Amino acid sequence: MKRSTFIALLSAMSLSVMGVGPRAHTAPGPVHKKTTIALLPKKKGLPYFTTCAKGAEEAAKELDVELIYDGPTDGSPEKAASMIDRWALKGVDVIAVSPNDPDVLGQAMKKARAKGVKVLTWDADAAKDTREFLVNQATAKDIGFALVDAMAKDLGGENASGKVAIITATLTAANQNEWMKHMKERLAKYPKLELIATKPCNEDQRLAFSTAQDLMKAHPDLKGIFGISSVAFPGAAEAVKQAGKSGTVLVTGLGTPNDMKAYVKDGTVKSVILWNTVDLGYLTIHAAHALAGGTLKPGATELTAGRLGTKKIDGDQILLGDILVFTKDNIDSFDF
Amino acid sequence: MRPAPRTNSRVYECLLAALMSILLALAWWLDPDFVAPATQLALSNHIVELALVAIPMTLIIVTGGIDLSVGSTMALSSVVMGLAFDAGAPFPLVCISALLTGTLAGLLNGLFIARLSIHPLIVTLATLAAYRGLAEGLSKGRPFSGFPEGFLAIGSGDWLQVPILVWLLLLLLLLSALIIRRTTIGLWIYAAGGSQTAAHYSGVPVAQLRLALYTLAGAAAGLAAIFFAARFNTAKADVGAGLELSVITAVVLGGTSIFGGRGTLLGAMLGVAIIHEIGQLVSWKWDQQELVQVVTGSILVLAVLVHNIFSRRTH
Repeated sequence: MKRSTFIALLSAMSLSVMGVGPRAHTAPGPVHKKTTIALLPKKKGLPYFTTCAKGAEEAAKELDVELIYDGPTDGSPEKAASMIDRWALKGVDVIAVSPNDPDVLGQAMKKARAKGVKVLTWDADAAKDTREFLVNQATAKDIGFALVDAMAKDLGGENASGKVAIITATLTAANQNEWMKHMKERLAKYPKLELIATKPCNEDQRLAFSTAQDLMKAHPDLKGIFGISSVAFPGAAEAVKQAGKSGTVLVTGLGTPNDMKAYVKDGTVKSVILWNTVDLGYLTIHAAHALAGGTLKPGATELTAGRLGTKKIDGDQILLGDILVFTKDNIDSFDF
Repeated sequence: MRPAPRTNSRVYECLLAALMSILLALAWWLDPDFVAPATQLALSNHIVELALVAIPMTLIIVTGGIDLSVGSTMALSSVVMGLAFDAGAPFPLVCISALLTGTLAGLLNGLFIARLSIHPLIVTLATLAAYRGLAEGLSKGRPFSGFPEGFLAIGSGDWLQVPILVWLLLLLLLLSALIIRRTTIGLWIYAAGGSQTAAHYSGVPVAQLRLALYTLAGAAAGLAAIFFAARFNTAKADVGAGLELSVITAVVLGGTSIFGGRGTLLGAMLGVAIIHEIGQLVSWKWDQQELVQVVTGSILVLAVLVHNIFSRRTH
């Protein structure tokens, strides 16, 4: 019985291998193919990106394109790079990447471009030779200035004073580094605000929480914390709330309204800075579609994007534009 | 003592090969593009670290041991490599530093296990935490990148359509297979897995053998860190997280008995290949990363069940 099983298995194996090899070659390609766009978030499952995906789906329906929305659930850049590799092999038309580490994803993005796939970045940028356009939520300057202005306003306006600290995503996050550059520039306008520390939370809310605790312990007179990622912000706010310092230590940063509503209502947070993430996803798919169809070319100065109307293109950046500031007065009218 | 387990292994390997064929046939039915040779060859680059570490892991498990620290060793090697690169060391030295770190980490495991006779589960559980902590402390969570173009070209390049790293892996695999088949070392490994006391009295240098195997596992993890850096242009402390689990699963799925004495490299490689194909297929077809973990997990539970039923029947 053993020998016969052995032979049966061997022949089954060789048959299937023989059957698989040549027929894969002759498999007829689809006659008419829908444009396929792959949208890669930094980390799948974060509310920030889930809301972007909502807008992306809306645009995909409008434009009748096939949308793949997938990303590493642990935010690991290597997994993201492997996914780009796989999509390029599969032959998707456009890959829109929000890179969590441009150095790691760069190789895969270049390889995909060499295979003829159009690549653009959204939400965060990578090296210029790895993509054609960046769909940018707002300029780094606008974001950096808005953050500092909000903190200053909540701490007493022009004469705002005290020690403040930043909790950022990772030390390599291109977005955050760019924003921090402009935050420091803006802080010069408020000489009494003193930036005492910049700490990473590695996109881990527990680490953001404990980092905020450590900061408050090390600096009992701390006045404010900037949480400049959608993970750092709620982490820091929760730490302040649990320490019973709501109102004494102000937390400001970037986050989705739904994530931050509770903190805004109990006074831990006075202002939440963000852009419309649904619109960001929506605009990205419109840009990707135009890129695939050939209507969006280098040198273009405008892009027509469905319900958003015409959007400005600054060099190789497609700008979404407006920054939203959520306070206890308006936060209830947003649901994302 | 050798022929009996070998024959059983052969049958089990055929079973795995059949499973693999069914998997590929299913994949072909779902999407012929996935099984196209060009796709499969390109995807095979993602198998290298797992397969590399599975070689020494198989041998260690055959001798009745276990090494839980391989993922952390890989991380420590990766970080040392990054630090050496950051300090401006010549590039060959950067690679050697990773390999050396892995080897030393493995040697330390081996010394505790072979010389002090502490159970490998305890030793490597301790170093699983210690090496990872050391890696995080040394790098302070900072990733290193910017490795030379030539090095990255090795990581993503191919020769005759087969990725260069896969060629290197095949070479190492062949070398290991030859040593196991053609030298007494192979005999010793299987003998030590039967009964270490009996093996010791039959003249098998059990202590030296174990020391060598754990050192080898460390070296393989160090080399895996180099491969990883070449593939992804990154060296950091969270590299290889959970690697120990995937490797042990692949090896056990490949027919190696967790109690020692039984198992082959061919089986382990089939185990690695099956896990690889399942993961790639699910990602390819459904583009849902959440699903990959669930499907891989459930299929493995099924496979191990089949494995258990099978080994009970042949004993």
